[in-house]
Parts: sequence; structure tokens; C-alpha cells
Amino acid sequence: MQHKKIVIALVLSGIIGSPVTTFANDSTELEELRALVQELSQQVKVLARKGEVAEEDAVAAKKTTPIVKASSSGFGLESADGKNSIKFSGLLQADYRSYQDGANDVRNRSNQRAGSLDENGFHDANDTALLRRVRPTIQGTLFGKYDFRFTPDFAGGGASAVDAYLDARLDPAFKIRAGKYKPYVGLERLQGGGDLKFVERSYVTNAILPNRDLGVSIYGDVFGDKLNYAFGVNNGVVDGGNISTGTEFDGSKEVTARLFATPFKDQTNALSGLGFGIAGTYTNIDGERNLNFTDTSAADATRNGLPSYLTDGQQTFFRYNGAAVADGRRTRITPQAYYYYGPLGVITEYARVNQEVSLSSGGSAAAGGAGTDTLITSGTTKSLSHDAWQVAASYLLTGEDASFKGVKPKQDFDIDKGGWGAWELVARYSELNLDSDTFKNKAGTSFAAASAYADLSTSAKSAKSWVAGVNWYLNQNAKIQLNYTHTTFDGGAGIGRTAINAAGTNVRDRESENALLARFQVAF
Amino acid sequence: MKKSLLTIALLATVFSVAAPGVASAKDISLLNVSYDPTRELYQDFNAAFSKYWLEKTGDKVTVKASHGGSGKQARAIIDGLDADVATLALGYDVDQLYDKAKLIPKDWQKRLPHNSSPYTSTIVLLVRKGNPKGIKDWDDLVKPGVSVITPNPKTSGGARWNYLAAWAFAQKKYGNDEAKTKEFVGKLLKNVPVLDTGARGSTTTFVERGIGDVLLAWENEAFLAQKELGVGKFEIVIPSLSILAEPPVTVVDKFAKKHGTEVVAKAYLDYLYTEEGQEIAAKNYYRPTLESVAKKYESQFPKINLVTIDAEFGGWAKAQKEHFSDGGTFDKVYQK
Repeated sequence: MQHKKIVIALVLSGIIGSPVTTFANDSTELEELRALVQELSQQVKVLARKGEVAEEDAVAAKKTTPIVKASSSGFGLESADGKNSIKFSGLLQADYRSYQDGANDVRNRSNQRAGSLDENGFHDANDTALLRRVRPTIQGTLFGKYDFRFTPDFAGGGASAVDAYLDARLDPAFKIRAGKYKPYVGLERLQGGGDLKFVERSYVTNAILPNRDLGVSIYGDVFGDKLNYAFGVNNGVVDGGNISTGTEFDGSKEVTARLFATPFKDQTNALSGLGFGIAGTYTNIDGERNLNFTDTSAADATRNGLPSYLTDGQQTFFRYNGAAVADGRRTRITPQAYYYYGPLGVITEYARVNQEVSLSSGGSAAAGGAGTDTLITSGTTKSLSHDAWQVAASYLLTGEDASFKGVKPKQDFDIDKGGWGAWELVARYSELNLDSDTFKNKAGTSFAAASAYADLSTSAKSAKSWVAGVNWYLNQNAKIQLNYTHTTFDGGAGIGRTAINAAGTNVRDRESENALLARFQVAF
Repeated sequence: MKKSLLTIALLATVFSVAAPGVASAKDISLLNVSYDPTRELYQDFNAAFSKYWLEKTGDKVTVKASHGGSGKQARAIIDGLDADVATLALGYDVDQLYDKAKLIPKDWQKRLPHNSSPYTSTIVLLVRKGNPKGIKDWDDLVKPGVSVITPNPKTSGGARWNYLAAWAFAQKKYGNDEAKTKEFVGKLLKNVPVLDTGARGSTTTFVERGIGDVLLAWENEAFLAQKELGVGKFEIVIPSLSILAEPPVTVVDKFAKKHGTEVVAKAYLDYLYTEEGQEIAAKNYYRPTLESVAKKYESQFPKINLVTIDAEFGGWAKAQKEHFSDGGTFDKVYQK
């Protein structure tokens, strides 16, 4: 409009002020001038109106033009109404593990390892650099209610689908998730892989509770989002297991249930960051009698339905014997809590698994290759109870508030501007204790490996670990972690290389593990 | 909390038992998605209907209205604008609600009298006072130096009526010679300096911005401009031939069902056909279809030789495809 006035004024002043007007005495010339002014005036008005129409069109187009988003939390596209979106994000973790002391597997695993065992029947754990997680993620929303997420992992030399699921947010109190996902069970497991306070999760999470599973869950937030509930039916996974994306080996399903309350979340007092709950799983595995087991290593663990357990330094310290097979009920229960107050964060969990185990014969448990059908040895079924617990604390030194999610530094690390990012101290104590009966025969009278479910001279009965570390958040996306972990064991070795005797009098403890775990992480 | 909920439940039970005949009044909200120049019509009509419905049922109805180019409005509904009723400029746009999204039944037009058009209108020429360019008919609009204001037929239902009225005139003038008809319409469009997206935008261009010599306008819009937007500043020129515009109405079944407003939405449209509804239409310069009201307002509407979309163009589907689809005659003759 301002433009229009200026142009009209210029046109008029140009014409009126010109010498021509001075001499335009006859009416014809005046008429011509008037017509010219009118024509120019029209042209100016048309230009101005076209500008208005273009502006209106631009405003209307804005309502339908997709929005391109690029930020520290990912890159994506979103429809103008916000109901449809797609986002690309990623997580890359480059680790280095250095072992001052410790073994790289259970004792006497010579058939699986190159080179000779030491005098105690172990190989030393090897220092190594590795990519722990290489996870690009595509996630999005359709029709404002239906979310999807696909996260492959390229770490470890192969590619696998870590997460591949759909969410239907029909109501805040009623949502459905289907596909491969983290079952709603463990608290620390539900924390994002990029938000972890420690390089590795605790025994509760890594050893006992499920990692990923295939199935469907109903979940939601009720009572003003103060109580979260979840109920799921999944294929079922071994302790700490991450199911493959294919069909499972047994037909029984594992049900999961969880309640988690944050009753003071809307308040501003010291309890606002308190959350606590309980979760559990149940399944009944009817043995896998028709399978030819080739091994009971971690990779094959799902085939006999039994796990192996790892140390904080990610070295195997417990395996079931080759003849052992999951056969019957498996129940897990896990009370859990967290507390965040200012820079302080505390998380604690307990988990107990009761697993019915039988011994089997046939197959080709140790040698591999084709064999005969696996048969459960009658009268060998036993219910074994293992448990684990952890308590972990974190404290942000640079004034940020701690939370279940990641840390956003008050000041990013910037040498030129003088910012040092966020610094956090962390410490954790964690234990895993196996049922003593695991290492005996059904009657509990002999430690002889042939009739026990696991061999106490090769696998340890418990692991106790403490970890201390520091996290340096360079910015919201980049983090450097350094953990020192010390683990002691109960059992797991015999004198020299000899097997444990039936009375169990020649057992000694596996050598302690001392490891430095370092990580550089980029997440967006 | 549990106690108070229990108390409320008990009280509710007691009251419902004690006063079984008393039904609670409801607050109902309707969304009417309409075309550009119906703002004033539905402002009056919505108030009258709310009053009528309150008296009849005790329920309070609030009618919200959305206005814009008819084609754009149809697309908005298809894209999810939750209209309970659609009152658009032409049948083709309403057909899209079935064709593209199955929001209404295929035979929607049979559900209400007069092919679901409670009022009609036509296209006239609005010129400035004194008619300085001496415009009398459509062929004056193709003369050099005549500036014509009409919206974009791609987005505006009114513009499509304008275009087809001009086309019908040219066909008659040139004895159905298509080449000459195209040339005529092309020349007319060459004289259009600005293409607004809707009829109300074109009225703004002509009346408020002072652009152009003639506005191709809905008859109701021309009356409104003449009598209310610029008293004494404009004159209506009745062309020798124009087109009968039948703006249709429909309940948008899928959304009305979702909102639980099917009954009210239907009553809303039925009310358009009542004597009171027709009076309101006539007062807003729409031609009523109810004979008694049409007779009462006979003198308000000039007699015009009108062609129909069905007889002249074989119906809206055919006209849309031939003239306004991508690559249609409009795209071919419109030279910017």
C-alpha cells in the first residue's frame, strides 16, 4: 500500500510538475493526460493487488506446504498440519575396552578359541576397539496417531533390525505397539541407548530381563499421566535376549506386565522426580525336543531357551551345560525406581528369574552337525532362581538437571567461547547371583558336571561389580564416557585345569576383572 | 476423589429417577463449509436457524462458517476439514466429496428438492457508475482497453460460472464455431488483469481497490456491492444471455456421523427450504426456489435469458473435464 501511494505520487508529480502541463491548455491534451494518469493509476493498483493476491496465496500455500526440519534432534519433513511426518536420526558409539585383569570367556572354552589356554584354563580378555552401536533410525507419524520406527544396527559386522514397530496412539490411556521393540519390563532397558549413564547396562538389564522381543503390547498413561501401565504378549526371549526378526523356535508366548507410577510429577517439591513400579514376565516353554542343538553359545542361546551371562566388561562368565534346556515355566519379576532431584539421579532395580530347566540327551550338543533328536532326560527338571540388583547414582557437576533422558548442557563445549559442556560423575554397584542348584545334579548331591545344569569349575556362581565413571557431554549430541569397572566372582574355576570334584571341594574363584571402558558417542 | 465421584454418581441417579421426563439441553456445534460470497446469507440464516432449533428442541446450536473459493473448500473437506454441511457453488465440487473421499453418498443430489439447490443465482456484469466504457453485453468485454475482473476458475466456483456464461454467449454468437468461441473467451481473459482465488476477492479488487471496468459477478454479489459495499457507485448490467447457477447443499455424512450431528445438520439444510429460509435467501439476493417467496421477490430479480449447465454443457462432470481440468480449454485459451 505504501508502495502504491509513493508510485502514484511520483507519477502525478512527474506529470503535473512537468513543463508539458504548463502548456497543456487545450482540452484534448488535458483529456489525454487524464487518461494517462488513470491508466498508470490502474497499472499501479493492479500491481499492488497482484502483490496482495500473491501474499494471500503464499499464506494459503503455507497451510499446505510441508515443513522441512533440521535440528540437533534429527532431520525430517512434516506436513503443514503436523499430522504426518518422517524423521531421520542416528546413534553411533565408538568404544574402546582395556582389560587390566580378566578372562575372555568361561573356563576351558578351548574348542571355541584360537591359541592355548593359560595354566588356569582361561584366555586373557583382549583389549579392543569396537563399534558398539551403529543405528540409523527412520521414524514418523501418519494421520497424527500412527507412529512407526525402524532402527537397524550395523555394529558387529552384520545388519539386524533392532527396532521395527508401529504405534497406534488411539488415546493417551490406550495405545498399541506391535512389531519388534523393547518389552515394557526393565526400567534401565527402557532408557534410550544414547541416554545411558554407563557404557554398559547393569546385570539386571543385560543378564535377566528381556532386551527386544516380537509381539504386541497395550500401554497408556492414566490418572493424569501419573501411572503408566503396559501389558504385552510376545514370542518370548531368554534372559537379556534380543530376539531375531524371524519366527521363534517354540510356540509358547511370553506375557509381560508393568505398572510404573510418578505420583508427584506435577509438583515442584523434592519428590517430583520420583518414579517407581513393578514389572514381570511369564511363559511356559514346553522344551524343544525336536531340535538338534549345535552349541549353547550366546548366538545359539535362544535354541535351547537358556542364556549365558556377561560381565560388566562384556565377557562371558556363565553358560549352562550343553545338555541343559529350558523346559517349563519362566517367570521374572522386577521392582524398579528412579529419583531425580536437581543434578542428582538415582536408579535402582531388582530382578529375579525362576526358570525350569531339564537335561537332555541326543542331538549334537557339543560337536555340531546333524544328530539325533533331542530328548528330555526324565526326572531332571528343576526350577532355578537367579537374581540381580543394581543401584546407580549420577551427579551433574555443571548445574544441569538430571533426568531419565539425555543431558542438554547449559553451555556447549567451545574452546573459542569458553564453554566446557556438561560433566557428570557416575557410580554403580551391581550383582548377579545364580541359584546354587544350577551347579548340582537334580538331587543336589553332586557337583559332577555331567549331571549338573552348569559346571562350577568353568562358570561362576555370582558376579559382583562396581563401576565408577565420568561423562562429558560436549553438547546435546556428542558425549564421551569413561568407566572403570571391577568385578569379583564366586566360583568359576578349579585348581589348575582340573574339573570340580563331586563334593565341590576343589572350587576356586575366577580371577577378578578390571576394565576401562571408553566411549565416544554421537546421537542426533 | 473416590468419595466425590460416588456422590456425583448417586446424585445423578437420584435426579434421573426423580425427574425422568426432564432431558438436559445440549450444546451443538455445526460447521458449514461454504463458498466465497455466502458470508452475509449464512450469517443471517445461522442466527435464524439457531433460534428456530432452540425453540423446537431446547438445544443450542452454534453454527460456524468457513468461506473460500468453492473448489478450494471442497479440497479442504476432502483433506479432513470436518464439515457437517457443505454449501458450495456448484455440483461438481460437491461430487468430489464422493469421488475423492466417499464422504457422502453418490446420489447426494437426490436427497433434497431442486437437485439439492435451495436457491439459485446467475452471472451479471457490474460496472462503475455511469458505465464509462459503455458495456452492455459479453462482447463488450473483449474490446481492447476494457479491464475485466473475474476470479480464477481453477479455484473459484463463481469463476467457472462466469467462464461458462461467456462461453455460452460466444457459442450462440458464432453458431457453435468452437475456434471462434475459444478466441472470444481467450480475448476476454486477456483483459483480466488480476485473477483472484475467489469471488469475494474479485469483489474486493473491483469495489475496494478500484481496479477494472467490469466485474463478472454472482447476481447476489453484484446486488450486495451495489447496495451495501458502494452505494451509488456501481450499476448492474444484465447481459443478453447468462447461465443458471444452482449452488447445491449437502450434509457431509461421514463427519456429521462422527460428530453425532446428523439430525441437526439435516434439519439445518431442510430449514433452507422453508418459507423463513427462503426469505433470508431472497433478502440476500439469492433467487428463492419456493414459489410463494419467489413471487414475493419477483420484482427484485431481473428476467434473464438463462442457459443451464446440463443443456448447454452436458452437466458439470463433462464441463469440468473439458474446460477446467489440467490441459482443458481454460488452460489453452488463458494467456497471461
